[in-house]
Amino acid sequence: MLKGCVLTRRNQEERVSDSIPRRGTTTMDKIINDFTINIATANGTGSQSANLILLQSLFDMGVPVSGKNLFPSNISGLPTWYIVRLSDLGYQAPGDRTHIQILVNPATWDEDLAAAEPGTVIIWNSDTKKKTVEREDIISYPVPMSSLARKINPKIAKLVTNIVYVGVLAELLNIDQTCLESAVARQFKGKESAIELNITALGLGRDYCKENLTKTDPYTTESREVDRPQFFIEGNEAAALGAHYGGVQLLAWYPITPSSSMAENIIAYIPRLRSNDEGEATCAVIQAEDELAAAGMVLGAGWAGGRGMTATSGPGISLMQEFIGLAYFAEVPSVFWDVTRVGPSTGLPTRTQQSDIAMLYEGSHGDTQHIVLIPGTVEECFEYGWRAFDYSERFQTPVFGMSDLDLGMNRWACEGFTYPDIPMDRGKVVREREAFEAFETFGRYLDVDGDGIPYRTLPGSGMAPILYRGTGHNPMGVYSEKPEDYFNLMARLKMKIDGARDELPAPLLREEEECEVGIVFLGSMENSIQEIDDILEQTGMKVSQCRIRALPLHSEVENFIRRHETVIVLEINRDGQLYGILRRELPNDLVTKVHSVAYSDGMPPRARIYAELIQEKLKEVSQ
Amino acid sequence: MSDKPARAVKLNVLNEPKDSYTGGPSSLCPGCGHDQISSVIITAAWENGIQPHRIAKMSGIGCSSKTPAYYLGQSHGFNTVHGRMPSVTTGAYAINKDLLYLGVSGDGDSASIGIGQLIHAIRRNMDMVYIVENNGVYGLTKGQYSATADVGSKKKKGTVNETQPIDLCALAINLGCTFVARSFSGSKKQLGSLIKAAMSHKGFALIDVISPCVTFNNNDESMRSYGYVKENEITLHMADYIPHFNPVEEVDVPEGHFRDITLHDGSTIRLETISEQHDPSNPMAALSALHDAEVNAKHVTGLLYFDATKPSLAEDLGLVDVPLLDVPDETLRPSQASLDALNAEFLA
Repeated sequence: MLKGCVLTRRNQEERVSDSIPRRGTTTMDKIINDFTINIATANGTGSQSANLILLQSLFDMGVPVSGKNLFPSNISGLPTWYIVRLSDLGYQAPGDRTHIQILVNPATWDEDLAAAEPGTVIIWNSDTKKKTVEREDIISYPVPMSSLARKINPKIAKLVTNIVYVGVLAELLNIDQTCLESAVARQFKGKESAIELNITALGLGRDYCKENLTKTDPYTTESREVDRPQFFIEGNEAAALGAHYGGVQLLAWYPITPSSSMAENIIAYIPRLRSNDEGEATCAVIQAEDELAAAGMVLGAGWAGGRGMTATSGPGISLMQEFIGLAYFAEVPSVFWDVTRVGPSTGLPTRTQQSDIAMLYEGSHGDTQHIVLIPGTVEECFEYGWRAFDYSERFQTPVFGMSDLDLGMNRWACEGFTYPDIPMDRGKVVREREAFEAFETFGRYLDVDGDGIPYRTLPGSGMAPILYRGTGHNPMGVYSEKPEDYFNLMARLKMKIDGARDELPAPLLREEEECEVGIVFLGSMENSIQEIDDILEQTGMKVSQCRIRALPLHSEVENFIRRHETVIVLEINRDGQLYGILRRELPNDLVTKVHSVAYSDGMPPRARIYAELIQEKLKEVSQ
Repeated sequence: MSDKPARAVKLNVLNEPKDSYTGGPSSLCPGCGHDQISSVIITAAWENGIQPHRIAKMSGIGCSSKTPAYYLGQSHGFNTVHGRMPSVTTGAYAINKDLLYLGVSGDGDSASIGIGQLIHAIRRNMDMVYIVENNGVYGLTKGQYSATADVGSKKKKGTVNETQPIDLCALAINLGCTFVARSFSGSKKQLGSLIKAAMSHKGFALIDVISPCVTFNNNDESMRSYGYVKENEITLHMADYIPHFNPVEEVDVPEGHFRDITLHDGSTIRLETISEQHDPSNPMAALSALHDAEVNAKHVTGLLYFDATKPSLAEDLGLVDVPLLDVPDETLRPSQASLDALNAEFLA
């Protein structure tokens, strides 16, 4: 079966197409695989299944497509929008505008209709009480979705309504029936009655469309051949699999959006990946009483010599600050996966933001500095999912994974996961008596090798027992308030983390020879950057990209900045948190050419907004 | 080179002298009840014949939580953060269930900031000994009331505590804790027996030990007090001077009887040992005994409640037999074939 493709460099030469239909033309040119569908429903009505079927069937046709679920912090009844963008150029950001609007939810009906630009296709449920569509400048397709759904089963008409609009779209957009049916089968895995019911409903939508509507819009789809087969997966599931291939031994977690599905996926894969024939597991799971306890359990696991992790979001990281400081200071391996969401406080709990860059990098009171791994793709979610443990045990320090709601909870194309190419790195743990005896002096915090990383023995081993503590300590691990002990300890910790810089994932560079404008960015901005780059290059400038994949900064980041005339640090937040880190850590002569473009409104990054902000900034700094 | 024969050193079943179970010198106030508890822990571990390195000493923050440095010097330990010792212990236990987890906490740690973690460790029936060194005050921050201070307790500077105390034993029984006991730091014999029993218990064993603070628990108007020694009052008002006291006398109260014990400050505490008729498998009887003691201004001590039937956390986790610590890396990481199969299924 054909699979969708993601952006490749060959697409870059192509121009962003003007996909707005021209009004009043009768022989309108077709617009193929390059438009955005916005589906307005209420949550808890089953719309998510319908939308995923639509997305999957387009993907199975080989159409490059991305889906963004804009959902409320609520169980049922509040407005939800699902944005499906088709783009032969492989653009995955939500588009600048909506080309096809589905109206099913009376609560947002008027607002969504008013927001539709002239020429927009409106497919609307004509059974909706007190709601209609009366606009001359749009293309209107009324469909009695509720009546059609009631024909199948009046009891679940609301649920079926959603799949009816998918049937309508399938007919209007020429979506392949085989792909639709296989997407339904995938969605309802083996539940025959559900599969049958949904396929019937799709047919009703299609038939109504054929018999009653005349297509006057230009939008259509075409199957595409793809070079390499791909599948769709959420970042949270990819990261969960990564954790298993990192041999996670304890998952301690407290439910929080948008990270819960990562923990739930870790749990779901235990029987298959981590259990013996008797069903006994090698990975413990504890749902903690709160995030503080979850963090404490992770530290306990690390202290005992195991691989412990938690999955959480910003509010959880806020609560874990105390333990993060302890893990740094007492040098306890521990992994924290942060799927960020909009802050501060409870913020917009179901919307996306790169909110925690500064908090993760410098978590807890006092002088601290942490290793942060920042995936921008689902493949990297997997890879950093296992690497996090290696780094954490090697450097004996907390390690963070920083994903976000967009990457974690939406589906992304993936070519498959790569098996770890190195054995698990358990760090400097002295397990055998013989090795222990070889030490002239053994001190838990003694820098024997000059790399700032000391050796440790484990509880139960009987070798060099100490009382781990969050209080000041000397190289032997004994309580100390001596100025030289504190100073030397803090200097060693700094050296230790500094030594990690070039061991961490290097930035991903896509460079133009001209080295005019360099954009430094991170994480899920990966999915919008190429479109931003293309919009900027339409104005004649040459744009290079540098995606940071870890903190502390790799030396290649500085080199990239040095090579470029002007550098924009692009991020999805208000304050430019990454910019702040760069400003502080870069040599003074480079600071002046680095400029911040930071913007966040809760939405996944829309390319045009960021491109325009970059243009403004470049204009401002050139004056 | 003395001609005298070497004095025979008493050894336990592992042929270990008691010295193998001691720790560093205490930095607590001289005469502190906590030091008596430390010495009871040393004796109990030695007498129980537990290999010292198979014990993990866990604590939070506070005077009590400093004490793991003063016993079992051959055991690893973790002096964690305030009130969070239960969670760290839980995580360590998930990785190495074969160690004996010996937690020491205080009333600030357990009844205030960490009460949630205590409750949830009990709820999970975490396999550990959890000793609360309960003195009703915050020592390290110089004498604020804790959540176990009696109503009517009066501080040096005059404020009277009017907030109801939390009885940790009653709380634990209500939560279904599988081993609940109360004792007194001066009752070495009883406390020693309880700690030894708790070390053998599979599940969460709470021992609430009344352990008077020699420095700050000097109120003379609480329900525990009958008088006050004038000389001490004068010295105690000097904030940076810590008077030296002798440890509280050793007490051994026969079952079903009570005795009044005079504390450092001249106040008296009435301890009653629960009678041998008490059925520790009956939670209502245990709660009733606690209630009666409160009404009669006494502290009932002994094993109040015990239940050996509930599964402990290890059984709930559904893990392999060996501690996860001992599972080889090659087993922890799923095979290449398993990933190939997943990739193929995703692509199908």
